[in-house]
Amino acid sequence: MTLTLSRPGRTTVPRRPFVTRRTVPYLLVLPALLGFMVFKAYPILAAMYISLTTGAGAARSFVGLDNYVRLVNDPLFWTSLWNTGLILVVQVPIMLLLALLLALGLNSSLVRLRGLWRLGVFMPSLTGLVAYGVMFSVILRKDAGLLNWLLSLFGVEPIDWLGSPFWARIAIVIALTWHYTGYNAVIYLAGLQSIPKDLYEAAMVDGAGPARRFWSITVPQLRPILLLTVVLSTIGTLQLFDEPFVLTGGGPDNSTLTISLYLYQNGFRYFDFGYAAAIAYALTLIVAGFGIAQMRMQKR
Amino acid sequence: MKGWTLTFVLAAVFGLCVGPFYWLAMAATHANSDIFSWPPKFYPGDQLAANTAKLEESIGLVNVLGNTLFVAVAQTAGAIVVSLLAGYAFAKFRFAGRDLFFVLLLSTLVIPGGVTIIPIFEMMNDIGLIDSFPALILPSLSVPFGIFLMRQSLLAVPDELLDAARVDGAGELRVLWRVVIPVMRPVLAALAVFLFLGAWNDFLWPLIALRTPEMYTLPVALASLQGLARTDFGQVMVGTAISSLPMMVLFLILQKQFISGLLAGATKG
Amino acid sequence: MINRRGALALALTGTLALAACGGKTPEKGSGPVKITVWSWKPASDGLAAVAKDFEQTHPGIKVDVQAVGNPAIWDKITIGMAAGGKGLADVLHIGVDYLPGYMDKFPGGLADLRKLGADKYKDAFAKGLWPTVTGKDGGVYAMPWEVNPVGFFYRADLFEKAGIDPEKIQTWDDAIEAGKTLKEKTGAFLIGLNKPAAGSADMDFFQSLLQQQGAFYFNQQGEVTLSSPPAVQAMTLIKKMNDAGIVADTSGENTAKQLISGGKLAVLPWAAWAVSYIPEMRPEQKGLWRVMQPPTVTAGGKRTAIVNSTHLSISGTSPHQAEAFAFVEYALTKPEVVTKAFKEGGVFPALTEAYSDPAFAAPQPYFGDQPALKTFVDALAEGADATYYSGDYARALKIASDAQTSVLLKGADPAAALTEAATLLTQQTNRKLAG
Repeated sequence: MTLTLSRPGRTTVPRRPFVTRRTVPYLLVLPALLGFMVFKAYPILAAMYISLTTGAGAARSFVGLDNYVRLVNDPLFWTSLWNTGLILVVQVPIMLLLALLLALGLNSSLVRLRGLWRLGVFMPSLTGLVAYGVMFSVILRKDAGLLNWLLSLFGVEPIDWLGSPFWARIAIVIALTWHYTGYNAVIYLAGLQSIPKDLYEAAMVDGAGPARRFWSITVPQLRPILLLTVVLSTIGTLQLFDEPFVLTGGGPDNSTLTISLYLYQNGFRYFDFGYAAAIAYALTLIVAGFGIAQMRMQKR
Repeated sequence: MKGWTLTFVLAAVFGLCVGPFYWLAMAATHANSDIFSWPPKFYPGDQLAANTAKLEESIGLVNVLGNTLFVAVAQTAGAIVVSLLAGYAFAKFRFAGRDLFFVLLLSTLVIPGGVTIIPIFEMMNDIGLIDSFPALILPSLSVPFGIFLMRQSLLAVPDELLDAARVDGAGELRVLWRVVIPVMRPVLAALAVFLFLGAWNDFLWPLIALRTPEMYTLPVALASLQGLARTDFGQVMVGTAISSLPMMVLFLILQKQFISGLLAGATKG
Repeated sequence: MINRRGALALALTGTLALAACGGKTPEKGSGPVKITVWSWKPASDGLAAVAKDFEQTHPGIKVDVQAVGNPAIWDKITIGMAAGGKGLADVLHIGVDYLPGYMDKFPGGLADLRKLGADKYKDAFAKGLWPTVTGKDGGVYAMPWEVNPVGFFYRADLFEKAGIDPEKIQTWDDAIEAGKTLKEKTGAFLIGLNKPAAGSADMDFFQSLLQQQGAFYFNQQGEVTLSSPPAVQAMTLIKKMNDAGIVADTSGENTAKQLISGGKLAVLPWAAWAVSYIPEMRPEQKGLWRVMQPPTVTAGGKRTAIVNSTHLSISGTSPHQAEAFAFVEYALTKPEVVTKAFKEGGVFPALTEAYSDPAFAAPQPYFGDQPALKTFVDALAEGADATYYSGDYARALKIASDAQTSVLLKGADPAAALTEAATLLTQQTNRKLAG
């Protein structure tokens, strides 16, 4: 009886190496590809099928494009589309402008304690949904809310933030702006810090004032970053869900019903999964359309 | 003079941003009945220990924090590795199907999250992963934004740098480890904050995928405190305040790298 | 070139997380059967207490009661249902706002309890509940646990100050007159409603006015009755109250509590759960509150309305349906057990037999030694009409809530708002408008 101590397969058989210059990239993308196939592509295709059906579980049946036809004729879908568009058009420019001003302030060498302010303005974007909901329900109360209290110091009458369709939309805009302005400001700040100092010095030698330096150096240098934030904020706002979900529930009178919230209501509240999936695809088309349009603008 | 005005304005913005957190921290130190009282409580109360003890009793705070931390760290680390490898391939190699796959991957950014949840749940259930941490971690390993960010910033790394290492006989992984990672530190930090934030606060999927309370993550456990009109907000506030802390610590530690890393996604198109 | 170790590491990264913690394997084979129950606090506390006793008498069964949280539990159940019943707990605590939808939209999602013997309890529960748990096919898909008949909690001190005798309030019109006096003399509102429906709909009051008239959003045939004369009458009452300035807006976290604390709400048209909730919330107002049955919509009409109820169902895919039913039967059909759960978890039981327990007739010091629970027992004795929720209740609730909001905030005409709402509801659900 012999005891074999050799470790098989270690050195004996010379093999063609599995990892070559040709196979490396495939190996590198393999984990991402697997994740994409299993957790993105398959569920998305499954949802595509679901959007062509009605009912759930054993009662599911194929209905073709019925859900999409219904979508086009559904006044609430159009309301949600209108609301989402309105919030997008109003909120994104305001937020990005504020973020830019904030970044300029945070980048100014005249300002003391910059690190502290920077941390502070970034904090809102670290908030989880639970904390966010609790905070804003207290901030936005009409009679004992922090915001109305703050405004009362300036002599403003209490505003019914969640009670009027107009103010509820404003409330959503305020909440969104609070949540994400700091995040964008920090991105801009990073951009500002990467602009070469000598550009400004040269401009100053040429006698350019601060406004001129801003428009002819800062803005063009920041352009790619500005566009990136516009694209990301647009995608985020088109999919807006958290704020109306925790603050208004879509009301009053559906004035803050967004597409994503309507999608959720149809799926999780009314168990109308086929319809919810159809809404999701409509939303996807819209978001993709915006994304492509903005990318095109960037190229130009 | 101008500097002071600007400092004052920034301090005011700071107050608006941080004020709600300050209120939250103070609320955590008051009893349930006092939390929402008017005028708002802007001074600490004496119920912090009591609220924390109750929270530990009802959800097992220490255990839940451990779960959340484990899941968030594993998810962040895993997704960073996946993103880095894929981003490296997209930025530095030519291979068949590269551009198509990259566009497909990015296009999933526009799909609303709720749509994929039911198929993924069915799948996880069929392979017996429901109520396990892998069920939480696996779906979030392939993150389009992470791969995009990695690719963009790797495009800025000169090929000569890599080629020099290759000439010295280093394998691809070694090049990645020795040459790419050191120059990518800021971007990796930015991505880490971004991913950790998402994992730490994730609610809907963990709620659906977990079954036993001993496995709960913090947001799920906090939701379990809610009952119709009977929620003990003392506990919720402590839990919410605690849930905000790790993010702040992480940001404090990584903020320098984070800020310069954020740029990477925007510089090269 | 990558070396072998590198390739291995690469292959491992994907499964790293898996290896690190490992999945749980479900227990199989011999040993006790474990059944899981999903519920929410504080009801889950009551059920957990009962489960311990159950395990004593049923050594082969282990019961794990989990507080999932409300509303979190609905997302969890809904996904399980949508995935064909996968991953659901054996026993599910379901509110009446979701039960009809689950019964109707997910055939087979919930077990038909007839085959397990639920039929014999048909008359054991408060009147009006059995139709709620019965499906279109006649199957029984839940057992009633909690019932919440509406009450009329009022601040006796404020009524006295305003010189109003609550006993004289017979109809809601009387209540409106009283409300005007109350507002004038004490500054307190009659009732509060979440007018913009911020966060969630606040339709219990409107629904109770409908139910008092034996009506609802749908009739027995499943036709839409949202614009029927009783609905218009109910909404008109609410508008009248609002126009008289006696309805407070309670939108926002904790607003209602604050109004109550400041003595700004004279009446809470809340259900039986409030008997334990009000003392818990406002211990300092001990002795100030009383409760009676609500006024009627029309003179001499019905007072009783079951504003909501919650039930225990068994998952249609549970492998342990018999054991699960044994537990449900134990927890819900034995008076002493039901009473125990009530004392631990504050759930007003649906089991009629339980009301003979002295606890339901005991004078309560908080309510000025009034036997507060007896008010509700009496209400149930009068008997509520069946309420036809239908599988589209959630949609109807949302649409009705929108109508109420437009009446309260925009001063819309009740009949017009409800007609519009009913039309929208028929469109969205493919149902007929009742003639």
